[in-house]
Amino acid sequence: MAGVLIRMKLAVLRNSMTGGAAAWMITGGVLGLLSAAATIALTFTGRGVRGDLLACALAIWTLGWVAGPLLGGSAVLRGDHFALVPISRRRLATGLLGAAFAGVTTLVTAVAFTSLIAYGLRLGARAALTAVSAATLLLIFVVLLSRVAHTLLGTVARSRTGAAITGVLLGGLLTATQSGWMVVVGLVSSDVLDDGFPTGFSTVLRAVPSGWGVVAVEAAGQGDSVRAAGALAGLAGLIALLWLAFVASLGRPRRRRLTIRGSAHGGAPARGVFAGPTGAVFRKELRTWFRDPQQWTAVALPVSWALLTVLLPLTFDAWLQLPWVAPAIALFAIPSLGNLYGRDGTALWLTLTTASQRADVRGRQWAYLVVVGPIAVVLGIGFTLWSGHLWTWPWIAATVPALLGGGAGLIAYASVAAMVPGPDAHQRPDNPLERADTTGPAQVLFWLGLLPAVPAFAVVLLGEWLDSTALRWAGAPVGLATGIALAWWLGHAAVTRLTARGPEMLSHLRTGHAPAATEPAPGPAPAPAPGQGERPAGATVASLVGGTLLLFPQGLVPLVFLLAGVDAKVWFLAMYLPVGWGLALAALCTLTGALLLARAVRLLRGKPQRAQPTSPPPK
Amino acid sequence: MDALRLEGLHKSFGGKVAADRVDLTVPVGSFFGLVGPNGAGKTTALSMATGLLRPDDGRAQVFGLDVWARPVEAKALIGVLPDGLALPERLTGRELLTFLGQLQRIEPAVLAGRVRELLDVMQLDGAETTLITDYSTGMRKKIGLATALLHGPRLLVLDEPFEAVDPVSAAALKTILTRFVAAGGSVVLSSHVMALVEQLCDTVAVMAEGAVVAAGPLAEVRGDGTLEEAFVRLVGGDVRRWKGLSWLAS
Repeated sequence: MAGVLIRMKLAVLRNSMTGGAAAWMITGGVLGLLSAAATIALTFTGRGVRGDLLACALAIWTLGWVAGPLLGGSAVLRGDHFALVPISRRRLATGLLGAAFAGVTTLVTAVAFTSLIAYGLRLGARAALTAVSAATLLLIFVVLLSRVAHTLLGTVARSRTGAAITGVLLGGLLTATQSGWMVVVGLVSSDVLDDGFPTGFSTVLRAVPSGWGVVAVEAAGQGDSVRAAGALAGLAGLIALLWLAFVASLGRPRRRRLTIRGSAHGGAPARGVFAGPTGAVFRKELRTWFRDPQQWTAVALPVSWALLTVLLPLTFDAWLQLPWVAPAIALFAIPSLGNLYGRDGTALWLTLTTASQRADVRGRQWAYLVVVGPIAVVLGIGFTLWSGHLWTWPWIAATVPALLGGGAGLIAYASVAAMVPGPDAHQRPDNPLERADTTGPAQVLFWLGLLPAVPAFAVVLLGEWLDSTALRWAGAPVGLATGIALAWWLGHAAVTRLTARGPEMLSHLRTGHAPAATEPAPGPAPAPAPGQGERPAGATVASLVGGTLLLFPQGLVPLVFLLAGVDAKVWFLAMYLPVGWGLALAALCTLTGALLLARAVRLLRGKPQRAQPTSPPPK
Repeated sequence: MDALRLEGLHKSFGGKVAADRVDLTVPVGSFFGLVGPNGAGKTTALSMATGLLRPDDGRAQVFGLDVWARPVEAKALIGVLPDGLALPERLTGRELLTFLGQLQRIEPAVLAGRVRELLDVMQLDGAETTLITDYSTGMRKKIGLATALLHGPRLLVLDEPFEAVDPVSAAALKTILTRFVAAGGSVVLSSHVMALVEQLCDTVAVMAEGAVVAAGPLAEVRGDGTLEEAFVRLVGGDVRRWKGLSWLAS
């Protein structure tokens, strides 16, 4: 059974190893191996802190296994694929587990877990032998935990509350990946690396199952074989429990289908702002947002992402960033909500047959503003008052309207121009975590989303330099004007594009393949060259990853640190050089990063998005 | 003037021709049946005729208006039921119809009356608070038909309208369609069910491998036999070639 499923999984992986998918997989594998190497390197740190650091790293790997499937879609082979095959659940579970071990992620994690053996070797032969069993058990544990957690969270995300919780979790993950260096700065500037973690923290790290391997190895090193055996038996026991849960999850779901009800009323208003076609779309969108769990995730994500980003620096007693929660929400909402037509799928046909493209785009823009705007404004006012940094008011008042308005424009245009089809709206799989993979366009939208704030920001900055209160406050009207202009202009561009390419978008949603990228003419359309758009995928991914790394952690952050006189070297290359050279290097990194990102934007714009086929082409 | 006129409509997907220079004429007041095996190009042809799929070549006209050159006017005249496409899934049936009526600028008082009548005829008024995402296949088909009828079109283009619809609703639907034709409306429907086409339609066309292989009044196309016999003969299936499966118990 396991052999068949492993071959089946490898066949699926082989078939999906084309263009962008292969580039992402290789990039991920390389980054994963680097992380594994870093984990092993931890065992070469100071004697007192080694165990703590390793337990901490193993906890992060375990969390990654729980969270990974939330961000990156589903397992290649799922239990429901084999629901009708007459084999017992136990055999199926064994097979699926075997297949789960055949993968890049498992391989990388296995390498990372050899760190336990490296740690054991320094504590003696007995510890090293114990470490081999501990690492094996830990690997089985994380793989099983990941499968069980995915099923569990998938069930939770079916309800709206559960979906919102999923959004908060995703926000936490993004914060961890993007602002994790803040914690590292906090660690480095403290005495942790010399004195070890506080006792309470290191106890917690060893008490959770991810730390039991470390406990076993250390106990074996001290000759406490009872404790070592106990820790290993504990892991084995957990594996058995998870195994039972996994086998049970493969059965027919017994839970009641979760139904969200609509309202029995709802006539068309005869007059008022909701009377026209735009009002109709606006009301439809608000109802959809309120009733669709996926939309709850999409709104909870930017809010929790922004909250965690501004709250995290409190760990090293920094308060200055708190007021910026409002611009952060307005910015982070753009990548999270920039695929509206992909979400609605082939329901686009109604917009085409009623020729209501303008109303459709404008109604969606209003719905976006009405949902995201109040959250950003209320939290922004609250956090600014809480922080006590009342001098930031002009900055917030200038950037928030620009980002909100610019966002309303960008999500409309991106939803049309960079649409990514997912499973079609009426064929959503049982697990709502399976959806369109918008990672690429979302990255681009994040950076583009910063631009609307630039003019207003520049005005306030000028006001600061010239110390002019009037100029400082002039940022607010400039921001408002930028916001309104961008919302109108990009919305207009979206309407034009939707009107011109609506049928092509519908084909794309229907088949999952982008039709020819040329502007349509009423006459014959040229066929796309075979393989067109596949080639630059590797270059796009490399530009995105490289550009992000250079622009932020190696460019802007050390630049600000050097200018502000912060002394935290961590992995910022420029901080290791004399100040003058450091500044030059950071500036060079910033420039190169910006150029690489601009290149990625160009490549993404030029190529049709790859996507999973949603349904067969029309007969 | 014809209700629908397709001239040389052509479409290929990645080198495979899905619709091969399709010519069809649907006279005003006719009940037109389009039949063909799976993959014959029926959905492709109807999608191109209703402005949902851009043809590589050829023209589609509705009451003399070019669907691709004057889409707004042409689309106001037709009611469309596509096969297998999504709807705004998080609305109830009543909300969907109200929403579409507003998009088409139907007077609110008139709209409320039409929505009530449509939900009643389609027997969907029992599912007032059910979202479309929770509808059964048959219910989806019925609410789709209701959206096609809402704005009082002169031509209905229906892709597989009776698939998965229960016999009671199907009877109600047949009544609606035959009365619509009797009152001067025109209907084009595609179907796999020959008996149904024979019962309802006065004009038929048979498609196979992207091309129209026969078209005309029902009596002419089916000749002396049934439509099913004519269909099998035209499409080229050879029943004698099909053997049973050797391992399957008979």
